[in-house]
Amino acid sequence: MISRLHALWNSVFRGKLLDRDLHDELQAYLELSSAEKIRDGMSPEEAYRVARRDMGGVEQVIQRVRDVSAGVWLDRLVQDLRYGVRTLAKNPTFTLVAMATLALGIGANTAMFSLLDQVVLRLLPVSHPERLVIVRETGNHYGNSYGPNTISWPMFEDLRDNNQVFSGMFCRFPATVTIGDADRAAQIPAELVSGSYFPILGVGTSLGRPIAPDDDAVPDSKPVVVLSYSFWRSYFDGDRTVVGRTIDLNGHAMNVIGVAQPGFDGVELGAPAKVFVPIMMKTEMTPHSDGLKNRPRRLSWVTAYGRLKPGVSLQQAELSLQPLLHGILEMEAQQPEFTRNTTEADRRLFLRNRIKLLPGSDNELREDMRRPLWLLVALTGAVLLLACANLGNLLLARATAREREFALRLAIGAGRARIVRQLLVESLLLAGGGAILGLALAFLADRILLRIYLPAEAAAEFVVSPVPDVRVLAFVIGVTWLTSLVFGLLPAVRGSRTEISLSLKDRSGALLAGGISLRRMLVGIQVALSFLLLIGAGLFVRTLRNLQGLGPGFPIDHLLTFTINPSLNGYSDQETKSFYQRLNVNLQAMPGIASVGFSAMPLLKGYAWQNAVLGKDFEGAPIEEQPVLSEIGPDYFATIGIPVVAGRAFTAQDVGPAKYAVINQSFARKYFPGRTPIGQRFGLVDEMEPTGPDIEVIGVIPDKKYRDLRETPPAQAYFPYLEGVHFRFMNVYLRTQVDPRQIEDELRERMLQFDPHVPVVELQTMDEQIGFSLRTERLVANLSAVFGGLATLIAVIGLYGVMAYVVMRRTREIGIRIAVGALRSSVIGMIMHEVFVLIGAGLVAGFSLALALANLVRSQLFGLNPRDPLTFIGSAVVLTLAAGLAGFLPALRASRVDPTIALRHE
Amino acid sequence: MPAPQSDLLQGTLDLLILKALTPQELHGMGVSRRIAQITGGAFDVKAGSLFPALHRMEQAGWLTSFWGESETNRRAKFYKLTRAGKKQLQSESERWERISFAMATALRTT
Repeated sequence: MISRLHALWNSVFRGKLLDRDLHDELQAYLELSSAEKIRDGMSPEEAYRVARRDMGGVEQVIQRVRDVSAGVWLDRLVQDLRYGVRTLAKNPTFTLVAMATLALGIGANTAMFSLLDQVVLRLLPVSHPERLVIVRETGNHYGNSYGPNTISWPMFEDLRDNNQVFSGMFCRFPATVTIGDADRAAQIPAELVSGSYFPILGVGTSLGRPIAPDDDAVPDSKPVVVLSYSFWRSYFDGDRTVVGRTIDLNGHAMNVIGVAQPGFDGVELGAPAKVFVPIMMKTEMTPHSDGLKNRPRRLSWVTAYGRLKPGVSLQQAELSLQPLLHGILEMEAQQPEFTRNTTEADRRLFLRNRIKLLPGSDNELREDMRRPLWLLVALTGAVLLLACANLGNLLLARATAREREFALRLAIGAGRARIVRQLLVESLLLAGGGAILGLALAFLADRILLRIYLPAEAAAEFVVSPVPDVRVLAFVIGVTWLTSLVFGLLPAVRGSRTEISLSLKDRSGALLAGGISLRRMLVGIQVALSFLLLIGAGLFVRTLRNLQGLGPGFPIDHLLTFTINPSLNGYSDQETKSFYQRLNVNLQAMPGIASVGFSAMPLLKGYAWQNAVLGKDFEGAPIEEQPVLSEIGPDYFATIGIPVVAGRAFTAQDVGPAKYAVINQSFARKYFPGRTPIGQRFGLVDEMEPTGPDIEVIGVIPDKKYRDLRETPPAQAYFPYLEGVHFRFMNVYLRTQVDPRQIEDELRERMLQFDPHVPVVELQTMDEQIGFSLRTERLVANLSAVFGGLATLIAVIGLYGVMAYVVMRRTREIGIRIAVGALRSSVIGMIMHEVFVLIGAGLVAGFSLALALANLVRSQLFGLNPRDPLTFIGSAVVLTLAAGLAGFLPALRASRVDPTIALRHE
Repeated sequence: MPAPQSDLLQGTLDLLILKALTPQELHGMGVSRRIAQITGGAFDVKAGSLFPALHRMEQAGWLTSFWGESETNRRAKFYKLTRAGKKQLQSESERWERISFAMATALRTT
């Protein structure tokens, strides 16, 4: 087999002749020629000279032979291509189906791979991104935290100044700031960066200069800003004079010193920053939350990055950083901020914290999307496999149908190699056409996918480009080549083996038996793969259904929400408080609005405010078990639709100094077991100002979801925001009497009149918000459903094709059976038996595959098992019905065979 | 002795080579010699025309080649007609005869 392939390869692609052979050949010619001349009486020297002269130089002759060979090769290629195009055009149905199948497979793969590549695999656009790591502290921090990847400012300084493994460290903090004036105020994502950020990343500017270490030495001293290139283009229309001007950020005049290099949008892929500000301007950029000047160690908020020194591996660095961290932790554990609220057991746990280094390109979007995207890539891989099987089947069927043609061409003297080449050229043409269509499809698909996946604004800014890059193209071309080679060569080898006499004589010769069993196997594979894809589709669609059906526990229709933050405009606490109170009154007066609720924390957006609580019996609970909290307005529960089951809700009179709380039933069960919760007291652990349990429970609500739809409702406690001292974000919820979408524009207009300086952010209906929070699940469910449907369609067509062919070949046999008295129903039974054997084999294979792969998708499911029997049975039934129907049509045709015609058939 | 004008006479050269190889297989020198012989010395095919033609015809599937021993006991490459080559010779000779007959008739007409 190998030598056969080798010979085939040589004869098909012999573009290069062995020059040495040619050289030998010409040398022989020269000697023979001079021998002749010697015979004629010349001296040997003269004979050789004349012979050489006559020949005109060995090299020249070799060159001419080469030219001729290349010309012949090209001529033939053109001939083959023209012939190929003609044959394909002659059979447009086949060509269309084959190309569409391939386009689908290649398109789906390219789209998913390019999304995966750009969202999950790609590195940051900085110099040597692979040497960049995120420095993370694992374990319980025993304080407030902005997320798992953050550490405190003093911790960053300690690590930066004492480590041996990094050539440099920088840190960053993402924030939202308000840019502009009364005319056009907008909230934009900003990146607060340490002075070492730009130099260590190796990122420059296209205009002006980057933020330098000097800009970041003294708090509040340097109001400077660097714009991202895309923001400079979109917001300032690429105006070069912007450098040197001042712009307003949060009401502070900031000096624009530069525009970053194109393509650089900060270190968090998928969350592009538009402006870069020295981290020493933290107070101005995030009012009410400093974390810098008094150097609190129990507030972790900066994400620290290090650039590994040359020759230092990630593991070595991690190991070498542990003693350094341990020393810092020992010191921290002595401090009153730590000891005040912790026990000895806590201290021992705390000292076990470790440094973990993550690749610098990691972020939350990646973590969230890694598994679903790999899953989708696997699904599309299955679709491509199926498409290949289908194409192979089509080409085999065609090769069989063309045996007469091949036999004829062999009979009139065409070389076998020529026929193989012809078939290969045809399959390459098909694959090439499929690839081009597939790329176009992928381009469209990626644009749509990005739009589903990201909010419109972010999708427009997102650095993921729907145009595949060189690697993706290489991937596509590789896949295309492989497909066309494997499925072009199979029939090609068979085709070239055609026995002339047999094929010309007898079309239904026994020769084809091998072909049909191969085709049956391919159909079996198709059934198995589509069964697998259908099961996947079933599981993911039901997961989405489960999540949607579950709901948050309150009615989400007629609910409109937006976020607002006047403190970013430099409003004082008192001004912000008054802003909220006036806003409440104003919105309640708006026509079409039934009630208005305020909450400091957003509902079902994945965020949580957690704090350890203290009371008589409970203290310093580990962070996972801390209750989630929020500060809310008086009508919040009424607006959301959460009943108060015991006690009362807040009123506008709950403004302090007495501290009240409404808790949910889980909170009551957890902290006041067996007691009536109303009238109980608890406190919040606060490192700065230790207090006793001074908050009184005045009401209880049922357990509702807080962070997201997947969670079991955690213990929750709510406080009246009017009791508070500091005022920042507010999430406004409006229960409307009319369709909330109808009043969105009116609401925007009203807010602009209310205060033109304060932008309204993320105005959307609760339906939309929840829909967006389920986007990963929806994406996976929709795509897997589409893939499952297409796979089934392809498999069904494949099965129909094979069965129709089987019936055609057995026409004579069936005719005889009917002639000697077989019932038509038994003919149908006979064919259907074959159909069900095929389907059954496919189902069994698909079933075992599905069982084996089940664990890989477990984490993507909700409310059902990956081996869910209902889904398995349902998919099997759907597939069996569809495929059975496809097999029934040929069976029906078989039963209608007219014996007299059938026997004359050949 | 005029060398074959390759533009005009490429078909002629192919035909001559096919004809030369009809009775037996030959190496390059042999083909050249045989052509000179059967055309009464009218064609002296030089290596620069001969070898490109041989290789082109081999790729067209009219000839096959193998390494053998020449009359001077030297390793040489021999060419042999294939079935396709014989068919080609047949159809080309017929065509050539039609053309030469037509040409002769045309030139004789006054």
